[in-house]
Amino acid sequence: MRDPEIDDILKRAAQSHADPDAALLAKIAGSIQPTLRPVRPLPPTWVLAGALGLVGMALALAIAAILGLHGVEAMSGPQILVLAALPILIGRATVVWTAEMIPGSRRHESPAIFFAICCMLLLALFAILFRDDTTGNFVSQGVPCLRAGLLAAVPVALAGWWLLRRGFAVNPTGAGLAAGTLAGLAGVSMLELHCQNFQTWHVLVWHIAVIPVSAAAGALAARLANRRITARG
Amino acid sequence: MHADGELETLMVRYQEGDFSAATSLIHRLSPRIHRFFAVQLVSRAAADDLLQETWLRLHEVRHTYRPGEPVLPWLYAIARHIRVDHYRKSGRTSAREQSLDQTPEMPAPRPASGATLSLEEMLAPLPESQREVVEMLKVDGMSLEEVARATSSSVGSVKQKAFRAYEKLRERLASMGSLS
Repeated sequence: MRDPEIDDILKRAAQSHADPDAALLAKIAGSIQPTLRPVRPLPPTWVLAGALGLVGMALALAIAAILGLHGVEAMSGPQILVLAALPILIGRATVVWTAEMIPGSRRHESPAIFFAICCMLLLALFAILFRDDTTGNFVSQGVPCLRAGLLAAVPVALAGWWLLRRGFAVNPTGAGLAAGTLAGLAGVSMLELHCQNFQTWHVLVWHIAVIPVSAAAGALAARLANRRITARG
Repeated sequence: MHADGELETLMVRYQEGDFSAATSLIHRLSPRIHRFFAVQLVSRAAADDLLQETWLRLHEVRHTYRPGEPVLPWLYAIARHIRVDHYRKSGRTSAREQSLDQTPEMPAPRPASGATLSLEEMLAPLPESQREVVEMLKVDGMSLEEVARATSSSVGSVKQKAFRAYEKLRERLASMGSLS
């Protein structure tokens, strides 16, 4: 049997489906009428994503400036490349998160795939650019970095949530993952500007760990929030 | 005017608070949404409830539609969300239900040929993700790009699901043809 024949069978079968009752449609129309007021549509994706990116990078820079820009001062020429790659990833993350907050948006990659790409790219870049294999004070210097990165991620996530508060996530876990990835990238950016410990394992483990921890926290928070909303509804 | 263009115009007027546009959209889009829920093998009463729930949600988030964008992917993305919530709620309810010791006997389904099957019966053997793709792509006439937007996936993934669904439908219709 050829595809057009199956198409015909499906179309004929669909015609037999009984449409909803007119009374039900009248009831639906009646239920929305009392709250039918003009609404302002969401701005275009580039406006939302642009605002999100500017806020994320500004917050990362501001926090790093408060703590001291020791990382930038100590960086060699090629290591500055990290500071070029991070804004590009942040820019992409803003598009991914914005798409998750607008139903029916065009998606170039899912939040999970984007998260994996970010981690892999940064792992590769850091492994190439930071070539100090010593591991002195690995944990005692690492934990404060992870904590500082996560603390920098929190205001970025909150500011982003405020900017996109009029959106609607049809996949709340995916939206939370995208939000956490963006916030985590801002946290890593802050660390690169501030931290002057360039040991390979330090940056590979403690700096990049900000992204998965932040992304997991975002996904979990969104999932729990959605569960509460569903249970209440 | 093209049907999609008309829907976009109506959607903009609905956002401006025009009740006649809202009513017109309800009459045009509800049969599609109802069928979308029906092919997910829910009862007619459940499809009616889900349709109402979808419209209440569409009304709440109508500002998330951006003029110039296609209406159907936006609509189906929200309808899918409502369906997922419904499954979650019904899963919680069924987990609390106690099963009977004896299952009441149900009448055996009547044998049918491809020509007499309803859409729900035809698509029943397919996995949920393939059912929705076939419904949107082949029955509703949406483009691959629109289905990809509605299902938050890529065009390639939609093509693959449609291909696999048609393979299964072909086998099923062939076996029914050989039986009759």
